Amino acid sequence: MSAREAILRALASPIQADAAALAREAAMLLAGNERPPLAAESVTEAFLANLSLPSIGATHDRIASMEQLPDAVARYLAGQGEPARLYLPPDPRLDACDWSAVERLPTVPMDGGAALAIAVAAVAETGSLVLDTATTAPMLPNFLALHHLIAIERARLVRWLEDVPLPSPPGPRQRTWVTGVSGTTDIEGQYVRGAHGPRFLHVVLIG
Amino acid sequence: MSSFTDRADGALADRQLKIAIERTTGTAQAKRAVAVAAFPDFEAARARAAAIKDHVVANLGAYLEQFEASATAAGTQVHWARTADEACAIVIDICRAAEARSVARSKSMLGEEIGLPHALAEAGIGRVETDLAEHIIQLADERPSHIVWPALHKTREQVSELFRRHHRTPHEGEEIAAMAESARRHLREAMLAADVGISGANFLIADTGAAVTVTNEGNAELSLVPPRVHIVTAGIEKIVPSTGHAIHLLRMLARSATGAALTQYTSFFAGPRRAGEIDGPQEMHVVLIDNGRTRMREEGLAEMLRCIRCGACMNHCVVFRQIGGHAYGGTYPGPMGAVLTPALDGLTANRDLPNACTMNGKCQEVCPVDIPLPTLLRGWREKSWREGLEPTATRSGINAWNRMIASPRLYRLMSAMGARALRTVSRGGWISRLPLAGGWTRHRDLPRPPAGGTFLDQWAKRRR
Repeated sequence: MSAREAILRALASPIQADAAALAREAAMLLAGNERPPLAAESVTEAFLANLSLPSIGATHDRIASMEQLPDAVARYLAGQGEPARLYLPPDPRLDACDWSAVERLPTVPMDGGAALAIAVAAVAETGSLVLDTATTAPMLPNFLALHHLIAIERARLVRWLEDVPLPSPPGPRQRTWVTGVSGTTDIEGQYVRGAHGPRFLHVVLIG
Repeated sequence: MSSFTDRADGALADRQLKIAIERTTGTAQAKRAVAVAAFPDFEAARARAAAIKDHVVANLGAYLEQFEASATAAGTQVHWARTADEACAIVIDICRAAEARSVARSKSMLGEEIGLPHALAEAGIGRVETDLAEHIIQLADERPSHIVWPALHKTREQVSELFRRHHRTPHEGEEIAAMAESARRHLREAMLAADVGISGANFLIADTGAAVTVTNEGNAELSLVPPRVHIVTAGIEKIVPSTGHAIHLLRMLARSATGAALTQYTSFFAGPRRAGEIDGPQEMHVVLIDNGRTRMREEGLAEMLRCIRCGACMNHCVVFRQIGGHAYGGTYPGPMGAVLTPALDGLTANRDLPNACTMNGKCQEVCPVDIPLPTLLRGWREKSWREGLEPTATRSGINAWNRMIASPRLYRLMSAMGARALRTVSRGGWISRLPLAGGWTRHRDLPRPPAGGTFLDQWAKRRR
């Protein structure tokens, strides 16, 4: 008997419900599930309030349209005393912007630097930003950079984690919810930012 | 004395350990309390979380098959393992087929449970632990002492010394931030150079085939994206029906473990790199591991399979906070470990664990999936008694006690004498030594019983 058969045989009792019955029961278990209160009535305000919590510690900027993104990026880097250069993913929406004031790096340097990503959604409940891998969006630069910049269109803000649209199959290889920076409490429970990846998170809200 | 009592004895005498445990569990307790208070429906959410897990455990066979089909459709290779040895053999085979010289491992308690670090070493495959705490204990050549903070037993002074000895360019100052920076420098290159990334899974989602990891360090992503191969080792009980169910449990997990609304990085991994994608592994494997779980489900421990490994039970346990994790001797410490270890490693060698409990009920109270840990511990005590595993002295002592409390007259007489005797051996309001009970008083003091007779005497007087 294979390991698969042995495990499934050991689990055969009680008689396993068929797929449709199982799906019904599972959906019922989740109906009207309890959710924590939002930090504010407006989705945008609740999202921004969460970003500024000490546990997330993100800064943010608001711009009217994608065209203003290079200015917002340059402004942030200058404010941090960082050189005006960063990694940008090969996204056509970014290619359409004028990056003449900022140097576009092909990779994130090993010792830090900055990287930008465009989120597919953001969540008011937790202040999370949702990143998907795609041919135009690698994942690794988000974790190599010391300064993590994420742009998000305001129309893509949702109230609860459940409201983030699920990709249709096969979907991206990896979806990551970013709710802060790379931190650790592994030495005596004390919180340190910038454990392996980003120490700073800066969100640019578009629209 | 059994090895557990030896270890507990050593731990109680270790003042450094007491300081280290107190620093982390104290912070964890306080943060959890704040997070739970900010979620008014937490109690109802907890009952729902338990119901979701019970539903999955009852229908585990069907859900495993569904997960297998969805994961396979996403391009993941699914493997099944009955035992720890089978699981390790599968992982080693995948590593060998990939000609791996080094693996980056993202902290997984299941990996510890099946002895993966040892199996990799035996196979001659280099291992980089990428979670900061796991890195610390890898350098110290120790085992985790907590399921969320594996290096909780280490003080900052001890960590500082380890890093100075092992890191190429160690920290200069003695601040914790400087030590973390030193580890960042040391680990980054090793992570990026690994051939295989190995993680556990906090959840496996049946309808999408995704494996979910949560980390606050981002070490899972750094160690799972660059290598050619990603291997997930997960217990079969990690299945949830859908992303929505995972979300409900993630809310409970983060609040119970660290007091956050959500952990910093939550990743859903579903298969290898898609055509045209810029990074990610060429292969993804999930190893579904039983290792005693189907037996637990049959033999009265199904509720234990609800566990989502948050660590709240140990943070709030008066026993854990005195002796720390290593004294328990198994992979999993604290209340959940005292239930799991006899199931995983046998009751005979671990019958002391369920006895090392005050039955104060705190663990169940803070459990995000309401596992009746005290009841399950009592179940092990009863089994141990039935199977005659208790030593003769304990058995005759309990039998004598049983005879005494069966007779109210005898009980009153003996307790009155006992209370008087305790008053005579007390010094300054406390009793620090007792004849025939040295094992009990070596690390504990008892308050002197109040004057005025036993509780029953005082009760009778009041009623008059």
